[in-house]
Amino acid sequence: MSSQTAEHEVSPPISDWSARVATWWAIFQINFHEKLVYRGDFMLGTLMRFLPIVTQVFLWSAVFGARAAQEGDAAGETEIVGYSYHNIVAYYLLSTISRAFSSMPGLASGIALQIREGEIKKYLVQPLDLISFFLLNRMAHKVTYYIMAIIPFVIVFYLCRGFFDGWPPPEIILAFIASLIMAFMIGFFMEASIGMIGFWFLEVRSLLFVYMLFSFFLSGHMFPLDMLTALPGPWGLIVKSLPLMYLAYFPAAVFLGKIEGWELVIGLLVQLAWVVAFMVICRLAFHYGVKRYSGYGG
Amino acid sequence: MQDRPSYLLVWLTFLRNSLVRDLSFRSNFWVECIASMSWVAMNLGFYLLIFSFTNSIGEGTGWGKFEFFVFLATTLFINSLVQTFFMPNIQEFSDLIRTGRLDFALLKPIDTQFLVSFEKVNWPSMANFFFGIVLLSVSVYNLSYRSENPLVLTPWMVIGYPLFVLCGVAILYSLMIVLAASSIWLGRNQSLYDFWFYITSFSRYPMEIYRGPVGHTLQLIFTFAIPILIVVNVPARILARPLGIDQGAATQLAIFALFATAFSLLGSRWLFVKALKSYRSASS
Amino acid sequence: MKASFGTTPCCANDPTAAIIEAMEPIIQLKKLTKTYEVYQKQEGLLASVRGLWHREYKQVEAVRGIDLEVQQGEFVAFLGPNGAGKTTTLKLLSGVINPTSGTASVMGHVPWKRANAYRRKFALVMGQKNQLWWDLPAQDSFRLHQKIYRIDPAQFDRTKDELTELLGVRELLGQPVRNLSLGERMKMELIAALLHSPDVLFLDEPTIGLDVIAQHNIQKFLKRYQEQRKITVLLTSHYMKDIAALCQRVVVIAHGIVIYDGSLDGIVTRFGGYKVVSLLFADDRMPSDLARFGEILHWEPPKVKLRVERADVGKALSALLDKYEVADVSVEDPPLEQVIAEVFSLAPPESSDQKAPQHAVQGV
Repeated sequence: MSSQTAEHEVSPPISDWSARVATWWAIFQINFHEKLVYRGDFMLGTLMRFLPIVTQVFLWSAVFGARAAQEGDAAGETEIVGYSYHNIVAYYLLSTISRAFSSMPGLASGIALQIREGEIKKYLVQPLDLISFFLLNRMAHKVTYYIMAIIPFVIVFYLCRGFFDGWPPPEIILAFIASLIMAFMIGFFMEASIGMIGFWFLEVRSLLFVYMLFSFFLSGHMFPLDMLTALPGPWGLIVKSLPLMYLAYFPAAVFLGKIEGWELVIGLLVQLAWVVAFMVICRLAFHYGVKRYSGYGG
Repeated sequence: MQDRPSYLLVWLTFLRNSLVRDLSFRSNFWVECIASMSWVAMNLGFYLLIFSFTNSIGEGTGWGKFEFFVFLATTLFINSLVQTFFMPNIQEFSDLIRTGRLDFALLKPIDTQFLVSFEKVNWPSMANFFFGIVLLSVSVYNLSYRSENPLVLTPWMVIGYPLFVLCGVAILYSLMIVLAASSIWLGRNQSLYDFWFYITSFSRYPMEIYRGPVGHTLQLIFTFAIPILIVVNVPARILARPLGIDQGAATQLAIFALFATAFSLLGSRWLFVKALKSYRSASS
Repeated sequence: MKASFGTTPCCANDPTAAIIEAMEPIIQLKKLTKTYEVYQKQEGLLASVRGLWHREYKQVEAVRGIDLEVQQGEFVAFLGPNGAGKTTTLKLLSGVINPTSGTASVMGHVPWKRANAYRRKFALVMGQKNQLWWDLPAQDSFRLHQKIYRIDPAQFDRTKDELTELLGVRELLGQPVRNLSLGERMKMELIAALLHSPDVLFLDEPTIGLDVIAQHNIQKFLKRYQEQRKITVLLTSHYMKDIAALCQRVVVIAHGIVIYDGSLDGIVTRFGGYKVVSLLFADDRMPSDLARFGEILHWEPPKVKLRVERADVGKALSALLDKYEVADVSVEDPPLEQVIAEVFSLAPPESSDQKAPQHAVQGV
């Protein structure tokens, strides 16, 4: 390859970039419009997403109350695996933020469906990179979501500010933000990879369900994972060797200061490693999947 | 020739047709059965985890491990019945409105509410009903054979429990009809459907956990305005008899549940008929 | 309009015509109107944001006052452009929607009261919607119909056999509906609608999207079935062939009102205010000023086609025949499709007591 073409690849001409930005803007606008049409729906839906947390909060309040009476602790001092009652409530609230970044509703099933129905061919003939296209679409989707959801989120967190011990130090906030962004990346590339299994097996539904089940239980969506790792047996090993904990538990635990110092640095590096790993897996799956697909002659 | 169809025969045909459809996608049928059961198993795991940190849910409520598992089994019965018989219909209902296929339901010489809320049956959801039977049996066995305060089943418990389970199903059904009616007015409404899940999530725990000023407000709202709390609580209390609950108050709540059931059914019916009047039919 | 209806020759040769004429009409509409409120979505991002607080609604008058009487045994076509109010009228008649004002009676019932007694006696078939269970064989849906309409089992079997025989779909009864072709599916829909032997049948675009052969089969079936049973049928269709093959009487609806009611050929007489004059000149000497007689539709010397106002045909012909050597001449009505297209494109007519609507955009 001559140096000139190499240079050309590094910095595409401005018109190319502006065309790309225009494409992104168009994708963003479409998403935004779609949301706006059902905006009342959307705001209400976001607020209601906190409702199950209300029941969780009351459940844990009852559990902590009973435990305090059982152990003879003073009210407010009881801890479960290092979490006070306030910590648990804060954890649930923070995990909704993690989930807002890492959850990818309909991504894997959408890709699998497109493969099955042959719609993926439509994209293959277009001059765009399919994975980037899906990623952009998802980003636009998420950004629109955050714009619309910021008001309900602020309201809920303001009302619940008493459960937090003030703002954590800036470096923790930075680590939190980094872990959120990586949670998004892991969520996207992992689900996209699962969707691409559709190139090999037509029925991905059951597989997806298994994934959802494990993700719900082992991502920390349902409870702080420390409760599992504190149990005797292989639980700690299972939780720590899977990427699922980075989808919900890790960012929330970072914010709450449960992971600090070297542990935090290593955690972030491992998370990054998972991002890279899934990016590669996704690429490979797509590459060989398309090959296999066109091998069939569609 | 009679004007009214035989609703029983029509309903049996619904059951039959749905079963034929479900069995024609056999692998799907089993996947769905296993899926919903593993979901419940995971939840059960979560509660086992909780009971490793405490011996009851709420101080002095009497909702110990097996009492709570009776509660959980009750939730399973009610939810599986609702998901088998009503959920598929309500999911399809907004589709019927959007595509204008509700027209066909209106043409039939049969009650429209009956037709749109009973037509589809999702048999795989019954899997959790059987899960519930197992869980209930294990829990009642454990409660009956524990050393202190063993549970003694009385005829009233055996009759009252299924009766109030059915009341619970009827209340949830009414809530669905209210949602369906509102989707006639509001058009497509995904969040209404989510609303269902979020609201019913309040019914999943014993009502004693809602304490403090906020908790009591929630208790009042979800007992009297949207009677979600009594759906599971009333039957579960009848069978589990948690010690911390005043039996006089429990009986009052049970009587209220009967009235609430009747009122929900009638009220939702009234709303549905009213909503149908403003149905405008999708353009073809 | 009423006058032309009175002379409709639909039953003229029928010995029972006098009796039928004396009977109450089976369908009767008086000043029926239906107005919708439609949300106006604005284009553009900012406008969408503004839509958060403020929404504009527009009134759309889908039906602006329809008067109609149909006798038992008639096969009537509703003709009109998209959004003219045909489907809305059918939906009003089947009781699916309530009218804004006006009255209607079908077989003595008010449709939108949706009495069971009424709903047992009619059927509605919509070409664009299906009511059969998608994943089940049609026969399972038929059985459900039997239960809902409470059809006597022996009677049900007889009707089902007869209909499947007539439509030639016997061997398809056991196949899931999703595996059927569009035409086969339509036949199943028809059977489902006719199982309870309705006295009145509403058909909304029953042949839409079908290929010519399937269309023809459905037409043939409908014609035969209606002639045998003497049921009353109201049909809307875009295919002139459907209408020509089936209906003696045509009701043209545009902008929510009836603008014509009579025979299909009568449309030409009423709206085609001109004739098409074809001339073949004998020698090369052709007049250069033909345009003064009327618009030149076709020019291919020595042949020419002219559009001439009906009143001027005589004058034009005598002038031409007088001056030029004409080998052949013919005077014809304009083609039906042409006339109907022109009728549809007419500006919305002002009715005496109502303001003209904004465009009847509702795609009904």
